[in-house]
Amino acid sequence: MTASRRVPTVALVGRQNAGKTSLLMHLTGTTQHPVNFPGSSVERGEAFTKAGDEVLRVVDLPGITSLEALSPDEAVALDWLDGKREGEGADVVCAVMDAAKLSVELRLVLALAARGKPLVVALTKSDVAGVTIDVDLLATRLGVPVLAVNALTGVGKDALLAALRAEARRTTPRPPAAPLALDTIVREVTARSGDPHDNLTDKLDRVLLHRVFGLPILGLLLFGIFQTLFAGAKPAMDLIEAGQGALGSWVTDLVPEGALQSFLVDGLVNGVGSVLVFLPQIILLMIFVSLLEASGYMARAAFLLDRVLSKVGLSGRSFVPMVSSFACAVPGILSTRMIDNERERLATIAILPLMSCSARLPVYVVLIAAFFPVHQAGLVLFSLYALGVVIAFAVAWILRKTKLRGPYAVLMMELPVYQRPSFKVVRGQVAAAVREFMVMAGTVILTTAILIWILSYYPRPAAVHEAAQRERAPIAAELATLGDGPEHADARASLEAKLDGVKTREKATYLEGSLLASAGKFIAPLFEPAGFEWRTTVGVLAAFPARELIIPTLGILYRVGDVDPGEFEVASLDANEARKDQGLTGRLRSATREDGSPAWSTLSALAVMVFFALCSQCMATLGAIRRETRSWKWPVFVFTYMTSLAWLMAVLVFQVGSALGLGGGS
Amino acid sequence: MSEASRALEVSVVPSGDAKASRPAPQSRVEAPGRGAPRTLDRAAPGAVVRVIGVDGDDALARRLEDLGFWRGSEVRVDRVAPFGDPVQFRLHGYRLALRKSEAKRVLVEDG
Repeated sequence: MTASRRVPTVALVGRQNAGKTSLLMHLTGTTQHPVNFPGSSVERGEAFTKAGDEVLRVVDLPGITSLEALSPDEAVALDWLDGKREGEGADVVCAVMDAAKLSVELRLVLALAARGKPLVVALTKSDVAGVTIDVDLLATRLGVPVLAVNALTGVGKDALLAALRAEARRTTPRPPAAPLALDTIVREVTARSGDPHDNLTDKLDRVLLHRVFGLPILGLLLFGIFQTLFAGAKPAMDLIEAGQGALGSWVTDLVPEGALQSFLVDGLVNGVGSVLVFLPQIILLMIFVSLLEASGYMARAAFLLDRVLSKVGLSGRSFVPMVSSFACAVPGILSTRMIDNERERLATIAILPLMSCSARLPVYVVLIAAFFPVHQAGLVLFSLYALGVVIAFAVAWILRKTKLRGPYAVLMMELPVYQRPSFKVVRGQVAAAVREFMVMAGTVILTTAILIWILSYYPRPAAVHEAAQRERAPIAAELATLGDGPEHADARASLEAKLDGVKTREKATYLEGSLLASAGKFIAPLFEPAGFEWRTTVGVLAAFPARELIIPTLGILYRVGDVDPGEFEVASLDANEARKDQGLTGRLRSATREDGSPAWSTLSALAVMVFFALCSQCMATLGAIRRETRSWKWPVFVFTYMTSLAWLMAVLVFQVGSALGLGGGS
Repeated sequence: MSEASRALEVSVVPSGDAKASRPAPQSRVEAPGRGAPRTLDRAAPGAVVRVIGVDGDDALARRLEDLGFWRGSEVRVDRVAPFGDPVQFRLHGYRLALRKSEAKRVLVEDG
């Protein structure tokens, strides 16, 4: 009817597990892109496809269970279907129906049919349903085309497309079917057959959902995933860091020393690289999350842990995003799409950055190595992780009592039949996550990295360079008088080390006079009650793009030279007693304030770690929140509450600790 | 094991096997007067019950009906989660997890 003016639109309507998303991928290829409904964070998948000589727009609506909305997602989907929003709607409704539960699904289909829009029924999972359905008879009884499609392999999609095109072209309303009782239709069209998948699901569930063994199995599974994640991502992360280093030195060789070189190396390569290094973790994590979801196990994990999370107004569906966030909050935030209740999803997103992610680990490790004895290292590390979780629960509870209070905090979750995950679906979800992350790296992360670089580079007083040159001149001259012979190797090495020392001091002097340092000194009084020395405050500011950036900043300010956060791993904690007084850890222990008192103490180190456990120094996370909630409100809120909370807790730790006379010396 | 597969049969049959004899009326004959009404959250794991209706007339009640808890539906209680909530039910050939607070709204009798 409207086909002459615009591309006919087909809406895929059905329940959450009916196979709509896989069907969209098969109908249109994998090039679907997420589109938001105007004025909401609810998303639909959308793509174009060719049906014969006609182009169709296929829209994957959020899952609906009935034509009465219970969640905002459903309300948005239904409004759109009716054309209540943006003056558009569906020309053809494609009801996606899981054959295994025909009677429940038919209730929705009959309701859709009663609305008179052109309707085509796509029957999925008829191969795993354990019942044989007489598709032709069902079509006759319903009075609409019914096509069986395999959502896993895509078999049957061509016939479905042809039927959709025919309905899109229909000019006369379809004749109404004889009204029949649901039970009668079901009885007529189904015949039982073998039930292999269902039996397999029963057998698996008896083990995986066992009252005693269910939780340990889940724990083991997650442990395995994390082991694989860190082991598997390590080579790729090392490769990225190596590439970053190589690119940095290549640019250093190519571009003469100066502002441009520093901008390219410190600003672009290292600034963006420090965030890009998490991409392998994000990819692996998204693969795991996607496999868990597509296999049907995700719903089981939610079932097992729902009780615990319901206490704070969340549900079992928040669990996997929370666990993912211990590696990185970005994939955690992306995987909240599986939470169908909007308020619960927002509450989950708001607390995910409190899980201690892998970018915090180097910060913890440096400070624990420097200020805590080896036998306390594990306990301190564990306490920091636990602190994040406890605070997260508290924040979720408060949010669900106030801003995100919902009329229904209910769990009505289907536990789908276990199935082999579709490669296409997993690939599509991982690709979407990578695309989002790369877009963020190219926009918000790049902008922040450039901003931080400008602030830490300028101004460049000429006096600093001249003083360094004056120091360098005699050393260079002495170096020149030495011969190339091996007998002078030691002398040459010591002179070169002296030159490196001058370079390190020059870098530190520049940074100390930079805008960033001025800003750090300006806000330093604010952090004084938490025991932060001004150089720490500068490090906090420099860590805006990504948390671990505090380490190279402290490295420069404490005159250690260039320090790579990657060298601080948990495994190094137990060997660190001997190295305590070397490198960055040693400098942190020996550094003094202007009045000669120690710059750091065990207590101030603890306060800094508490701050980093709770603060939201991560542009990628804030960017992901912005993208997922489609509003600036949430990232601003998350940043504000986390920073305030981090400051408050750091002050609390330092003040209470000082009052108790703890941790004066190190 | 045998218990589970039996329950599967019972829950699938009302949704339509034309050839098999329908056991639903039979079970009613077998258990006359056993069907004292109670709420679904009180049914023990392994029990097979029949829905009498859903309490209330709000959106939640209608949603429970749309999920399959309409009058006459057979529901099997599959299992309770480790911490005592939620509960997994089997109805109309699929598995559904509900918290007890919602299951309370469904009135059932012995099936």
